Amino acid sequence: MLMPKKVKHRKHHRGRMKGAAKGATEVSYGDYGIQALEPGWITARQIEAARIAMTRHIKRGGKVWINVFPDKPVTEKPAETRMGSGKGNPEKWVAVVRPGRVMFELSYHDEEIARAAINRAIQKLPVKARFVKREEGF
Amino acid sequence: MSDLLLSAETGRMEGTRPSRRLRREGKIPAVVYGLDSDPITVSVAWPELRRCLTTDAGINALITLDIDGTNHLSVVKEIQRHPTGRNVLHVDFLRVTEDQQIEVNVPVVLQGEARQVTQFDGMVDQSMYEMTILVKPTAVPQEIIVDITDLELGATVKVADVVLPEGAKSVMDPDETVAIALITRSTREAIRRAEQGDAAEAEGAEGAEGADEGDEGESGDEG
Repeated sequence: MLMPKKVKHRKHHRGRMKGAAKGATEVSYGDYGIQALEPGWITARQIEAARIAMTRHIKRGGKVWINVFPDKPVTEKPAETRMGSGKGNPEKWVAVVRPGRVMFELSYHDEEIARAAINRAIQKLPVKARFVKREEGF
Repeated sequence: MSDLLLSAETGRMEGTRPSRRLRREGKIPAVVYGLDSDPITVSVAWPELRRCLTTDAGINALITLDIDGTNHLSVVKEIQRHPTGRNVLHVDFLRVTEDQQIEVNVPVVLQGEARQVTQFDGMVDQSMYEMTILVKPTAVPQEIIVDITDLELGATVKVADVVLPEGAKSVMDPDETVAIALITRSTREAIRRAEQGDAAEAEGAEGAEGADEGDEGESGDEG
């Protein structure tokens, strides 16, 4: 699963996810992509699940790009623990996405199969997302 | 002068809120600059802009901007779009002259089927979708076509290999890759999975045969 090799700070603040994505809002590497339509945290497990769903469906002859990286640690307190005693332990890594972000890209010769593969991958993600194509011309 | 005439209004207020008001009225905020003249903030009507940019010339169409009765020959330098809605938010126009070359991005289109690649489950990965060329505004090609019919597995098409139309010159690194024929990691994984599946099936079949033989042996003993 994706995670940073080393980090400067083990525990992060939660942060806010206001507004739309500032970059990576277009399909730049492949022919098709998955674009987030709402803000959210995508865990490393979800990214991996989406990747596997896509690659299993296209079988062979395609290429997948992952444009998000889970670089934010999320802490959790153990179950049935009293509040206090400091911040919990880092349990998972997430990527913060905002509306418009193209999270995955896919290159495949058959659009119908690519669309089906992407729809399977979208099912694995915790945010509303849509299938997008490379924009050509106006 | 170009055939495409687009009238632009000057005197628009700058800033987020006036720009949003303009967009609500069906106008697009824009700016015109280039040729060592001062930039002018203008607004253009959305239907007119769309008409100008959906011709055969595509996004690099030569447009004559009519600004307060003065004609400015221009091309679209940049279009800003909404991240999810994809509606046009702002346009940059670059002033040009007919005889002075400009840098424009032209789409690269791969043509043909690379049979020698597809027969080995490979694919042609296009890594460059737009190429920056130096050309006169009147001779901008609609697209640059790259023939990949004879491409072999592992071979690359570089910028130096691309045949440009007459009068056009590339400003990119000649060694930069346009497309590469390869077998992707996911394909290799799929092939490996398929092979493992076959091997497991074969082992399963052997195991079943062995079990049958054992049963027969037992029955033989009983007999």
